[in-house]
Amino acid sequence: MSNNNNSTDDRINSEGEDKNSRRAFFKNFGLIGAVAAAGGAAIYSGYKYEESKPNHDMVKVLTADNRLVEVPRDQIKDIKLDTSELQRKGREGLKGHRFVMVIDLSKCRNARKCISACQGAHHLRPYEYHINTLVMQESPETAPYYMPKPCQHCDNPPCVAVCPVNATFKRQDGIVLIDNERCIGCRFCIAACPYSARLFHWEEPLMSEADKGKPYNIELNVPQKKGTVTKCLFSSDRLREGKLPYCVSACPNGVYYFGDENQDAVTNGTTKETYRLSELLRVNGGYHLMPELGTKPRVFYLPPKNRLFEFKDTRDQDKEKI
Amino acid sequence: MIKKYLFLVLIVLISFHLSAQEWVVPAEEGVKLSPFAFNDSTRKVGADLYNTNCKSCHGDPGKNNVINLVPPPPDVASVKMQTNSDGALHFKLVQGRAPMPSFKNILSSTDIWRVISFVRSFNDKYVQVIDTKKGMAGTAASNVKIQVAWVKEQNQVQMVISGMKENKIQPVSGAEVKLFAKRYFGNLLIDEARNTDAQGKALFNFPKDLPGDSAGFVQLIAKLSDEAAYGEAKADTTLAIGVPTYRPPLNEQRAMWNVVQKTPIWLLLAYTFTVLVVWGFIFYVLLQIRAIYKAGLRKDHETTD
Repeated sequence: MSNNNNSTDDRINSEGEDKNSRRAFFKNFGLIGAVAAAGGAAIYSGYKYEESKPNHDMVKVLTADNRLVEVPRDQIKDIKLDTSELQRKGREGLKGHRFVMVIDLSKCRNARKCISACQGAHHLRPYEYHINTLVMQESPETAPYYMPKPCQHCDNPPCVAVCPVNATFKRQDGIVLIDNERCIGCRFCIAACPYSARLFHWEEPLMSEADKGKPYNIELNVPQKKGTVTKCLFSSDRLREGKLPYCVSACPNGVYYFGDENQDAVTNGTTKETYRLSELLRVNGGYHLMPELGTKPRVFYLPPKNRLFEFKDTRDQDKEKI
Repeated sequence: MIKKYLFLVLIVLISFHLSAQEWVVPAEEGVKLSPFAFNDSTRKVGADLYNTNCKSCHGDPGKNNVINLVPPPPDVASVKMQTNSDGALHFKLVQGRAPMPSFKNILSSTDIWRVISFVRSFNDKYVQVIDTKKGMAGTAASNVKIQVAWVKEQNQVQMVISGMKENKIQPVSGAEVKLFAKRYFGNLLIDEARNTDAQGKALFNFPKDLPGDSAGFVQLIAKLSDEAAYGEAKADTTLAIGVPTYRPPLNEQRAMWNVVQKTPIWLLLAYTFTVLVVWGFIFYVLLQIRAIYKAGLRKDHETTD
């Protein structure tokens, strides 16, 4: 009975197996297929994910507001500053202004702060001058004095007239600039300038390694370029911000006045006091350098009168140093 | 005897040292005190002012990275700086002495006190004493209002100043006031400093030839000199009292030095004429050669015929 039972059980079982085998086949087939499909999909999506997964190689970056942050290396994009915009702005100049400089020779004590500030801003070597401080003496009997001589930013500039490639130009605000990306280094302008205001980069400029790849700022002449000409720019980058030029604000003796002829006002760089330009020139007897050349400079000089300090001649010391 | 000489030498050395180093502050300036309490906001503004005006010489406070000048600018956290009284610091910032510039036209008195509040933040032992006589700013009058108007008949600018005094709005009389015209790099003092009358009025002679913008507008700034008594009272007004000024851009005219588009007419004409003459001559020569060639061909025909 038990056997019977067993056999029936077996039969039932075998029947069940028989019955199930077709079903089981389909069932198993479906299951395997589903698993295979799911596995394949998983592998594929995993592969896709691996492919799209960001590279977690991190790079430390110092932001503009001086924070140190980490950025994935592959998310770093090279951006280039719009140098053509710098060029356009630099060529155009500031509307409605006519910049002038007044140099009071009675106050210059050859502190050389203007020179070092200028050289620092424009990445020049200690012997490359945008401002030359000359020792002047009209005759053996008269007292000597110092005369700082930057570019005169003439209204009739001979240097600009001779440039064959339009690299040096005059802007609407009166400033004469040089585009070092156009300059071919012919040095015609150096020969044409009656004030010897220009200098040529015969050697690799100071900081040329550090400045490599920086966008060229036409209003600062930085990076300086070997084989091109450079000169005083009236710190046009500072004027754009409404600040006085580097040399003017660096002077400790109140030698420099800078301002706008259209507003008839100049501001002293040391005391920051503002004066009427016309009155300052009339009262002190302001004059131009070499007016007979008709270059119409934008730099005025006030004569070296009432100098109430001793003239220290540093020329001999300089000779000893050399 | 030797002792006497040594004493003399010592005296001379000390006096020389003093004259070379000491910066003498008048007694009444040295005891001046800030009209307001130093707090985080004054220190923050002071820090910004310090960074733009002082840092280039005095360096970062406490780091001793001052620049090399004679006499050397002390580090602001140093004992030498901190032993100055508040009034002495204020005086030195206002007056300056070579090579330190005077800041009287650069920073207002209130701003100078703010810089001092920043300087004092590097001194743990410092305890501020506020000016009890004046107390907070604006004791003479608070809520000061300045009105600026143009008196055409007299060619003068009139300033009327009123403020809260004893809980009433009253004219501020006997206060020094200044009028400035805003220029690109600084403010131009108009006329001179004046004192207000009993009605709180002050009149300034305005120059007839001061250039304004293209419509003649001039931006005027009116200020009360005594900031400790009246606070930072200031008024900005724009009036059409200047000479309308329009000057063309300096690179507008035709000139030899200007760009190609701005070539002088005479140069354009002379150049065009020269080119035409030269090319004309070349063409004339070529035409003549052609004519000779043709004449030669005709002659050949005639001889063969």
